[in-house]
Amino acid sequence: MKLRVMVITLLCAGLFCGLQGAGNQVSAQGEKAAPVEQKITVLNPLGTPPPVALKAMAERLNTLDGKTIYFVNTGYIGTDRLMSVMMDWFKANYPKANVEYKVSKGGMTGVDKALWAEIGEKADAAILGLGH
Amino acid sequence: MKKPAVPLLIYDFAQQGSEVAISKGMPGLRIQYFRGPVWAKTPDQLRKQIVDGNNPITKRPVMQELVEKLTQPLTAEEKKMGEIKRDKGPATFTGTPRELQKMFLEKRFTDFLPVILPTEDLVDEMLKATSHKPDEVLGKMNPGSEAGETWTYTVKDAAINAVMAGAKPEYFPVILALGSTGMTAVNVSDNGFMAGAVINGSIRDEIGLNYEIGAVGPYAHANTTIGRAWHLLSINGGNCGKVGTTYMGTIGNAMNLIGIIIAENERDSPFQPLSVRRGFKPGESIVTPFIGWGILSAKNWKANVWGPNMDYPKIAKDIYNTQDMMFGTCIVLSPPIANFIKDAGYDTVEKFTQWVTTPEGGAAAPAPAPKGPGGFGMPGGNVTVVVTGGSNNNYWSIGGMRPSQSVQIDKWR
Repeated sequence: MKLRVMVITLLCAGLFCGLQGAGNQVSAQGEKAAPVEQKITVLNPLGTPPPVALKAMAERLNTLDGKTIYFVNTGYIGTDRLMSVMMDWFKANYPKANVEYKVSKGGMTGVDKALWAEIGEKADAAILGLGH
Repeated sequence: MKKPAVPLLIYDFAQQGSEVAISKGMPGLRIQYFRGPVWAKTPDQLRKQIVDGNNPITKRPVMQELVEKLTQPLTAEEKKMGEIKRDKGPATFTGTPRELQKMFLEKRFTDFLPVILPTEDLVDEMLKATSHKPDEVLGKMNPGSEAGETWTYTVKDAAINAVMAGAKPEYFPVILALGSTGMTAVNVSDNGFMAGAVINGSIRDEIGLNYEIGAVGPYAHANTTIGRAWHLLSINGGNCGKVGTTYMGTIGNAMNLIGIIIAENERDSPFQPLSVRRGFKPGESIVTPFIGWGILSAKNWKANVWGPNMDYPKIAKDIYNTQDMMFGTCIVLSPPIANFIKDAGYDTVEKFTQWVTTPEGGAAAPAPAPKGPGGFGMPGGNVTVVVTGGSNNNYWSIGGMRPSQSVQIDKWR
């Protein structure tokens, strides 16, 4: 008798636990509930960007008349042709401006110090290219 | 020069131009954009496309804007001085794994594949593989030129990215050695450069790098995750690989995902390892980064005609003579091909490469390296030989990759 009671008790307990387990997966509306994800903390993978010191930009010209504009070719293929047609446009549209074509020895990443000094001394403005 | 200046830039680079202007301290830099490309266009085409064309961003005439940029007075915003302080943002992020994977993807911390989330525990475990302090500056990196900023990253930053890549701690010294070079694995160039690395010495067996069948393929844990860690470190530590700003490959390069990590098959090679030829001791663990176009099967060249008898040295030379000089030639031999070459009388790599680079019928010096697009002189004409892979057939690869500075891995243990 005691054994029978024990077996029935265990079966009921098993059934109860089983229902409880099923209850975790099925909501009152009969839909499956998403498993609850634990929050974790992770580290930022970025390196550090450099600080930026703002630089003064040069004042603009009030007119192009009588001014010398350097077209500075930093070396990318085709820049000479582009600058040639741009200079033609300036000659046609700003005939009182003086346009001059220069090639930078610094290429795209370096600075042609001599040319930069010349611009500072002889030019009023510069157009540089080409960022391709 | 303290004179008003206007840079000319293809409008596809506008986002990059804006970022570079900020990094150079002139966020208001007046850049003139227009439709490209310029290269290979006739003057008439350039006149129609640019001089008579509109800025695709503003829809206004290019030349009118150019004049205005030279003549319109500076605004108050453009006259601002001082310092723009920037940092990397919060040190940590908290969320569910699903939320964090999504956030890492959206913030572009990844290569668009899921990552191992870098928890403090995992990063600490990675850091135990080196004696170097977590806050030690490991290197500085930019996307390959002044077109991008130079960022700084620490040993801990490298560990975080190594965890994300799925690397094991025992691989970490190799990752640190690569990071210490400051060479990006993901170059900004619109050419679509890739990066690779050759690993020599005892570390190959120690960490299970594959140098047998499939050596250059992605299916080896150490090779793949070391490559991925280097690429993720480039993306996150060096601000590389961002399409539109620091990744401008016109076509792109599929090898930018994990690069090519080559462990040399020193056991089956008849030649001295690359590292020994570069002055290091046999067995010393060395990594040599490469930059270039990548490699592909030598069968891609007509010179490599399959037949019952094969003159591999001649085939290599014929292919070399068709290669561009920009990155030189990198020959990746399987052990059987390396042995064919040795049996043909070239018992050292130096003898072989000297013969390969000597023009037929004379001892004239090889042609000087031409200037690449943009006028930057490219050291070319070099040939690098690496031996890796299995001995299951007579296949090999070739391409354009130039070795950079070799680094001792043991310094990073």
